[in-house]
Amino acid sequence: MATVLHAVFGYFFLLLTVRILTRRPGGQLTLFEFVIVFLIGGVIILSTVGKDRSLTNCVCAIITVGLLHQSVSWLRARYPRFGVIVDGTPLLVLDRGKWDTDLMKKMRLDENDVMAAARSKGLTSLTQIKYAVLERNGSISIIQAEASKSEA
Amino acid sequence: MPAAPHLKPVEDTVPMVHGEVAIGEDLEFQRRWWRFERIVWIAFALIVLLDLLGVFGKGYFAKGHIHQGPVEVKFERVERLGTPSIMTIHFAPEAIHRGTVQLWVSESVVGDLGNRRIIPQPESSTVGNSGVSYIFPASGGRSSVLFALQPASPGVFRFALRVPGVNEIRSRVVVMP
Amino acid sequence: MAAILRAAFGYCFLIFTVRVVGRRPGKQMTPFEFVLIFFIGGLMLTAMVGDEASLTNAIGQIMTIAIMHYGIAWLRQRSPRFASMTDGTPLVLLEKGQWRIGTMFNSRITDDDVMAAARDKGLSQLAQVEYAILERNGEISIVSGDR
Repeated sequence: MATVLHAVFGYFFLLLTVRILTRRPGGQLTLFEFVIVFLIGGVIILSTVGKDRSLTNCVCAIITVGLLHQSVSWLRARYPRFGVIVDGTPLLVLDRGKWDTDLMKKMRLDENDVMAAARSKGLTSLTQIKYAVLERNGSISIIQAEASKSEA
Repeated sequence: MPAAPHLKPVEDTVPMVHGEVAIGEDLEFQRRWWRFERIVWIAFALIVLLDLLGVFGKGYFAKGHIHQGPVEVKFERVERLGTPSIMTIHFAPEAIHRGTVQLWVSESVVGDLGNRRIIPQPESSTVGNSGVSYIFPASGGRSSVLFALQPASPGVFRFALRVPGVNEIRSRVVVMP
Repeated sequence: MAAILRAAFGYCFLIFTVRVVGRRPGKQMTPFEFVLIFFIGGLMLTAMVGDEASLTNAIGQIMTIAIMHYGIAWLRQRSPRFASMTDGTPLVLLEKGQWRIGTMFNSRITDDDVMAAARDKGLSQLAQVEYAILERNGEISIVSGDR
């Protein structure tokens, strides 16, 4: 019984921490962020399970987490506003040749990150980018300028 | 001389949508899967509910309580493998004779249920009658003895307690894996 | 012996849960879903190891999981039926300007998710998407209209 409550608390605490702490795993997952995510997950697990390492206990905890996740996904699909809270919203960092410097500073993103995404698309210069969007999973999508598209 | 690779011409084996995009969708299967998923979620919710109520241990329904004359036993009816728990035995003044309390417990308490510690320390412990007899010094008034249990294997185990002059107390403990 | 059984059970239960918890990994995986995987995996790990943290036990359990994983991969290749059980089938989310509402809702995918995949392809509008397909690995692939 305590485990179920612990798991519920752990889930929401993780959701909050990860949401606040970082936005860049997934797409640009660096080793450092990987370690952080692993660490947080591990610490929460220890406190969730406590001394009771029986199969019954852990299975109940997993089921609880699964159920919670399913309900959150359901809410997220049902109410777009809730989705914004859980996943955030895509952000436009490069708009037709202009950087949104304020946004980039807040998201701890620099031009090199955008250029890296552009290179993976086969672009060689920042001027070929029309829009750059920081996605909810932390990856950067690049929409090319029309001119460079016809060249390519 | 290496053997020639085994070749087979490419055909449109993956089913298409509108005859133009090869996807291989199986919507019929997926509908059945979604139905199945819903059943699983209901089952999962039930399991969590039962766990919250303590049917799998550590909750309201797992509390065992037996009152037999001057002896009262509180224990967990559902234990978890390798997880510590406490069995408490309260003695009313009538169970105390000449400054001592005598208690016989069946072997299963020491073996299957994994008794690790007894509080307070018994004055003497004697084996025999497929169990262990303890003698605790008592000064009168209400007193209690605690058994710290930690089961080492899953299963259903019977145990029994005997105090002179009181009917034998028998019960069962389920140890979850 | 008990450790091997725990490992086998843990593996099956994990596969089952992850399959049922839904498939939104791949490119759509947000940090939070990432943590969920660790959370679930770690919880199962604690139960599997229990108090028997010996090397013998660890090796036995790793072997068990490896063999089961191999077995499942083998079955998946042999039987398409089994493959759709473990991986599901690709699903059409959007075709020719029409959303498939039921599929979208049941797989908890929103139009935002599809648009994110479209942007990743360099498309700037949903109207440019001719087909959006939820792949078996949870990625959304986009087929853009010919223009």
